[in-house]
Amino acid sequence: MNVRILKDRTAKGLMLTMTVVAILMVVAIAIGLYLKSRPVLESQSLSSLLFGSQWKPLKGQFGFLPFLMGTVWVTLLAIAFALPISLLTAIFITEYARPMVKRFVFPVLDILAALPSVIYGVWGILVVVPWISKHVAPHFVDFSTGYTVLAAGIVLGIMVLPLLVSLFIEVFSSVPAELREASLSLGATQWQTALRVVVRRSLSGILASSVLAVSRAMGETIAVLMVCGCVVGMPHGLLDACYPIPALIANNYGEMLSIPLYESALMFAALILFVVVLIFNLLSRIVLYRIEKQNE
Amino acid sequence: MNNKKNKVTVGKRVKEFIAKSLMWISMAIVFVLVVSVLWTIFSKGIKAMSWDMVSKLPGGGFYIGKEGGFLNAIVGSLMIVGASTLLGLLVSVPVVFFLNVYLTKGSRLAYVARLAFDVLFGVPSIVYGAFGFTVMIWFGLRTSLLGGIIVITLLIIPIFIRTMDEASRNFPTGILDACLSLGATRWETLKVVVRQIAPGIATATLLSVGRAIGDAASVMFTAGYTDSIPTSLSQPAATLPLAVFFQLSSPIPEVVDRAYAAALVLTAIVLLLSIAGRFITAQFSRNKVS
Amino acid sequence: MIEVKKLNVHIGDNHILKDIDLLFPERSITCIIGPSGCGKSTLLRTLNRLIDSTEGVRIDGQVLVDGEDIIDSQSDITELRRRIGLVSQRPCPLPMSIYDNVAYGCRINRMFKKRRELVLHVRQCLRAVGLMDEIKGRMHAPASRLSIGQQQRLCLARSLAVHPDYILADEATSALDPISSKTVEDLFVSLKDKYSIIMVTHTLRQALRIADNVVFMYLGEIIETGPASQVFNNPQNELTQKYLSGAFS
Repeated sequence: MNVRILKDRTAKGLMLTMTVVAILMVVAIAIGLYLKSRPVLESQSLSSLLFGSQWKPLKGQFGFLPFLMGTVWVTLLAIAFALPISLLTAIFITEYARPMVKRFVFPVLDILAALPSVIYGVWGILVVVPWISKHVAPHFVDFSTGYTVLAAGIVLGIMVLPLLVSLFIEVFSSVPAELREASLSLGATQWQTALRVVVRRSLSGILASSVLAVSRAMGETIAVLMVCGCVVGMPHGLLDACYPIPALIANNYGEMLSIPLYESALMFAALILFVVVLIFNLLSRIVLYRIEKQNE
Repeated sequence: MNNKKNKVTVGKRVKEFIAKSLMWISMAIVFVLVVSVLWTIFSKGIKAMSWDMVSKLPGGGFYIGKEGGFLNAIVGSLMIVGASTLLGLLVSVPVVFFLNVYLTKGSRLAYVARLAFDVLFGVPSIVYGAFGFTVMIWFGLRTSLLGGIIVITLLIIPIFIRTMDEASRNFPTGILDACLSLGATRWETLKVVVRQIAPGIATATLLSVGRAIGDAASVMFTAGYTDSIPTSLSQPAATLPLAVFFQLSSPIPEVVDRAYAAALVLTAIVLLLSIAGRFITAQFSRNKVS
Repeated sequence: MIEVKKLNVHIGDNHILKDIDLLFPERSITCIIGPSGCGKSTLLRTLNRLIDSTEGVRIDGQVLVDGEDIIDSQSDITELRRRIGLVSQRPCPLPMSIYDNVAYGCRINRMFKKRRELVLHVRQCLRAVGLMDEIKGRMHAPASRLSIGQQQRLCLARSLAVHPDYILADEATSALDPISSKTVEDLFVSLKDKYSIIMVTHTLRQALRIADNVVFMYLGEIIETGPASQVFNNPQNELTQKYLSGAFS
């Protein structure tokens, strides 16, 4: 009897430790990245790092603004592209679709979610980039390689689609059926019900899901790296090349480490990414938890 | 009055029609995109595909278009993914068990833990890569198989935990109460619980394997790249996504073609995992008391 | 008048409603009674076609609302549903203010051109259910702040706002405390001069108090139907007798 209880206690202790250690990973990553980026933080002020646009590693100047802007452009474009499509798809699935259609749609979304980043990159290079260079860009500029903000935005938009759709479906499903019936029984059509009751009630969930998708899009590396053009400079339009932060890290890490402070600067880039993603994730998850709880 | 009513009805119907069309268009876009991606990869990849590709190591002059295949990358990927899946399971199953059996529903610790794992799930893989590399340097490790395994393990633990946790959430508390009232300790309910959430574990595993095998950003600096199959943990290892990535940037058409072939192999593996996941969820749930 | 002819409803492999033939008279309260699971709610949901959203449902037969067959897919469901109001078991205010809840249906059906008319109409509806005085100036507060009993009356006001001819009530008082329950019950009685009310209930005493007509259902079939006094005082069928005497419920 005692042995059994001892076993139970030991197991509990062990598992508690494991859980706590796993939680502490979040802190460990933050500390690790901070320690590594301290040299560059000591050499320049935070504001000149974040808002400076001079990127001259050899002179020790690290202005991250062009990269930050690249990330912002690409991410916003991706969300602008994915949001309406995923909203409509999710409304269709929760409010309209018969089980047959669902059985067909879910595997398709599964596939979309399962495909690795590098595959989207290959597809971007083979399909999106030439399309932009041949059919879109000529209407606006003299010449474009196609490796642009637009290409990265489209590829990234597709990558966050399945995430958005599945989050939206979750949020919409948490709206009680009685509310829909109340609206329908007043003579509202399904679309009126979907828009004025389901979407209206889900606004906080829609916002939280979008923020989550933004943070996912921001960190996406390889696919973006492959189609964004990787030119250091401030993007001024959709047909400019850009250089988002993850691409910067992936392209240069391990190669340029002989330049002083370069590694630290890249670690600082990773730290920015981590902090933003952390904040976005925390906020949106807390909102989504609350919605889930209401549902129970 | 009647006339007005008709107008309202017609207005409603028109709106409904427009809305429905828009929804069908979105669905069509999603569908076309999936087909386009799959078709592009398949049509390009199949041309360059041959038995040599998946059965041979890169020969001399492989990267200028000569003999060989990318077996090194396939094996490297499998090694990293296999090892980290095992390690990941070893950590996650106890954590999930702890969260669901030892902690009560409203537990503060459980809330914080779930939040933490959701946040970790959201951390970009490039950040894991950078962090992993830092840690490796700390311990004096170079880019190696071991480094890749560690980073991928870190990457998939949150996926494991969250997916399994979702599956255990629907776990009927009655079963647990029944075990406990028979005099079992919480630890001894493990067997029952594991059997109940087996499909959850299976899907979580497949999902994590899919994610792990496709992730390039994190292994880039931690596992490195090599033309041979690693024989010890301290040697670098090639991976499939990086095989695609590196060869695609080559100016030589034959090498680029091989990138497509590698992309096809990667896609095939990932699709199989995804299909298997669906299948298992459907099959296993029969044994489950719900 | 609602007339049900040879109505059969299947959900999946289950035969829920069997050969239902019924006539719901106008301007009176018809109570549908019977043990739980006998198909009362399904019948009610068939009358306004909310049953459509149930998976695997099959409907045969006719439901004639003022002579128009509503099972026929050609009929305009939204217009039908406007004419048949629903008060459900649990009050379910829409996620908006009290005012917007009542105005919702009017806006959906574009009943008023001028805002002023809409405001007057909303007030009138709230007055009709006795909420106007209770909420006073809080018309734009979220509906969820009302008590459960008040919410149920709000739902009733919301239904009345779109000028229905019929009101369906699915155990509309079962989630309420006794006092609110009485208030809502009295409301229904006062409304029967203007509307035809069809009510599912499983408190027999409620049916006794307010029903003009009674329909007794058991296992998807109509066992007995007629004026309340007749069914309660002199039930013809043995099952009805047993049910009324409390042998099963």
